[in-house]
Amino acid sequence: MKVIIVGAGQVGFNTADRLSREGHDVVLIESDGSVQEMLADRVNALVLHGNGANEEVLEEAGIRDADLFIAVTDKDEVNLVACIVANEYNVHRKIARVKSGHFIEAGGRFSASKLGIDLVINPESVVADEIVNIVSHTGATDVGEFADGRVVFLGYPITAGSELADVSMRDLGALRGIYKLVVTAIARADQTLIPRGDDVIQVGDIVYFVCHKKDLPAIQYLFGFAKDEARDIFILGAGDVGTRLARRLSAGGYKVKVIDRNPKNTEALAREMDNVLVLQTDGTDVETLRNEGIEKAGAFIAVTQDDQANILCGILAKRYGAHRAIALVDHQEFVALAPNLGIDACISPRMATASAILQHVRRGDVLSMAMVEQCNAEVLEFNVSDSAPIAGKTLGALKVPVGSNIGAIVRGEQVIIPGGDDMICTDDHVIVFALPDAIAMVEDFFAAK
Amino acid sequence: MNPRLTLHVLGGLLLSLAVALLLPVAFSLYFGDGSAVTFLLSSSLAGIVGGALYFGLKTRDEIGLREGFAIVSFGWMAFGLFGALPYIISGQIPTAVDALFESVSGFTTTGATILPEISRLTPSMLFWRSLTQWLGGMGIIVLTLAILPMLGVGGMQLFRAEVPGPTQDRLTPRIQDTAKLLWEVYFALTAALVILLAVGEMNWFEALCHGLTTMATGGFSTSDQSVGGWQSPWTHWVITLFMFLAGTNFSLHYLLFRGKFRSLTRSEEFRVYVGINLTAIVVITACLLPDYDSPLLAFQHTAFQVVSISTSTGFGTADYEQWPLFVQAVIMGLMLVGGMAGSTGGGMKVARVLLLVKHAGHQVFRLIHPRGIRILKLSGKAVNNDVIQSILGFGALYFFTAFLATAVMAADGTDLLTGASAAISALSNIGPGLGSVGPTENYAHLGTVTKLVLAWCMVLGRLELFTVLVLFFPSFWRK
Repeated sequence: MKVIIVGAGQVGFNTADRLSREGHDVVLIESDGSVQEMLADRVNALVLHGNGANEEVLEEAGIRDADLFIAVTDKDEVNLVACIVANEYNVHRKIARVKSGHFIEAGGRFSASKLGIDLVINPESVVADEIVNIVSHTGATDVGEFADGRVVFLGYPITAGSELADVSMRDLGALRGIYKLVVTAIARADQTLIPRGDDVIQVGDIVYFVCHKKDLPAIQYLFGFAKDEARDIFILGAGDVGTRLARRLSAGGYKVKVIDRNPKNTEALAREMDNVLVLQTDGTDVETLRNEGIEKAGAFIAVTQDDQANILCGILAKRYGAHRAIALVDHQEFVALAPNLGIDACISPRMATASAILQHVRRGDVLSMAMVEQCNAEVLEFNVSDSAPIAGKTLGALKVPVGSNIGAIVRGEQVIIPGGDDMICTDDHVIVFALPDAIAMVEDFFAAK
Repeated sequence: MNPRLTLHVLGGLLLSLAVALLLPVAFSLYFGDGSAVTFLLSSSLAGIVGGALYFGLKTRDEIGLREGFAIVSFGWMAFGLFGALPYIISGQIPTAVDALFESVSGFTTTGATILPEISRLTPSMLFWRSLTQWLGGMGIIVLTLAILPMLGVGGMQLFRAEVPGPTQDRLTPRIQDTAKLLWEVYFALTAALVILLAVGEMNWFEALCHGLTTMATGGFSTSDQSVGGWQSPWTHWVITLFMFLAGTNFSLHYLLFRGKFRSLTRSEEFRVYVGINLTAIVVITACLLPDYDSPLLAFQHTAFQVVSISTSTGFGTADYEQWPLFVQAVIMGLMLVGGMAGSTGGGMKVARVLLLVKHAGHQVFRLIHPRGIRILKLSGKAVNNDVIQSILGFGALYFFTAFLATAVMAADGTDLLTGASAAISALSNIGPGLGSVGPTENYAHLGTVTKLVLAWCMVLGRLELFTVLVLFFPSFWRK
């Protein structure tokens, strides 16, 4: 597939990198000459210098035979105009990153569908969605929902004294009783392993599993994942992400307190929302944090522009009693580091955005997907068509690619958390966990031939 | 300050007053009461002075901030003076101070009177009394603004200085059109009220006079017993309803006429205004149940008195001084609050009191959350900090002025209850007070100084203090 990406910022670069690793032809267009030069060596793609809304540049990038057009510069207007131009060239699919969504909302005079844009991505809203998901699943580091929310994929950190510490996969079967779950992966230090029967869960691991949503409360209780749910939430940073979070969480019945040191931000937030407590101070202002009840907080969510501040303030808040710390971390390097420091969940905007874009890019057999931040792994939901070679085989007879395993099979209304004897039938939905290197193989394996 | 321009515009205002002074002539001729000459004479005096100023001091200058304050303040004083002419010339109110008091009380829609026997006035004079209230209710300058094209950009300054409330709504891009709309709404409501009253036991003349003074929340009546002179529930309820409407922001009326019914429930001030009135009515009705023959009668009189006081109209159908002390205290509170901003009602205005209460709540919030940020809102919209500051200033000035006036009146020999309630009543443009100026009494017995102080308080209250008081700062007069 031929892909043109306008804007080689973090989102553009990340998307280009992943798509090119999966074997697509990617052309990146970047208006900043120095960035263009720097990236040329780092990504296996053609990097052009120029304005992505300029016809000449787009012709040079080969827009006439492009299949997918992704405009993800920092400027809404450039992205929209670029997509409008791409529409004129009859590019099949167009994706635009638009920050201020209100003027392009569905139903408006100027809606995305009228402009021929298939997907409007707003990184801030994607990040906010993800954090809300994590907050509403107490204790989880990663959350994904499949099969219309009937199947959930969750990652939980294993702390000292956890029911699961030092339990082998084999013993887990006895422990879990009637509640079925599949541990699809274990993240340990820098590596992620697909567990076999002898593998033992250790303290400090993050355990990723798939289960039926109705079993989730029981499983959380059984393994001590669900602590008393505290409804108090602190948000550090009243920027775009912080504001969205405050809006969604307070609508979800949480008591939200937002901290920001910038009077402009706090004022704008206080102007918009009455049921949110807005505090104008630093994230390091321990006196205010304690005064406002940090020790009873269910979560401290740091979403400023500054990775370091997010991580450090998160640690500080936990030190003073916040139950969980969730940090917005942009640098890939820190994402792996943060759990060791005591950050319970890291959200990377570019990963989240790239994930949303990739989900749209996937071939038609993939119904939905989730990305695991720690290890770049993906969880994919496939539809099994009758031409697929796997149809009619039992899992025991199936050689799934190395670095992947099957978490659940959904057959109509039925959700099967599979063992070796279960069979895959036509029109099943299978939920598959795949490490980065296995993604291409997994797609070939499950897709129709 | 541009004196030439100020005097020029004042001349224009006097010319419109001269026209207004001609209206009673028709009534005088119809009733044959012999006052026609008085009004012709008064009108020519206002016309000559006005014409001399207007045509003698022509200027192309634009009205600025300072001219706006000066024109409105001096304009209202001039109306008070020239409006008193008919009373003096006809001899129906012999002393100049009493005539001035009656005239100012009229224009400012206060409704306090020095007349022991109102019914002794000639019909055309009764009409003039009512007309002054009607003109002052919506604002004679807003009227001028609506009719005369002479007030270009500076019109907004005048509008702002005359229309009551902490902030003004602009309904149309051009301020002249807004002024015109407000007067149209005012006129339409008045016409409806006059018809409804004439259907009842009032004759058409009484209906007209009460229509004019009800919509202005003025309170001048043609009967010595005020509205108590008519006993039918119909008359009482119609007036209660229209006093309530007159105390409502006229922008809301306009929006209702345009079919925007949601704007009513969306207005926080309106909700509070309704809430205050309903609560007071329920509480006082409950207190008065033993005193009346039927609960319905208690309800009727309570509703009338509460709405009359809270909208600063000042009509009476019952003597609230006979009511329990607690009820009188509630009535005193209603006097302070007044009607909605942008209405013809007086008082501090519901919007101001509401914001003051919110501001107090905000201070408590700041004690509990030292770093907390909270924006004061009215109807969901953020209120600028400047507005809060000016309201705080207004509140302080209001009470300081009331105290000062009470002190001066005490020096003049007025007792404290009478003085304090009269000062609040005058500042809020209500009319009756407590003590010796209750709803069944009048202001005739008060000393000359007391009457002048009260007249001054009425103008201050009608123009909401700042507009007049800026004139007393030397820096206002310097360039």
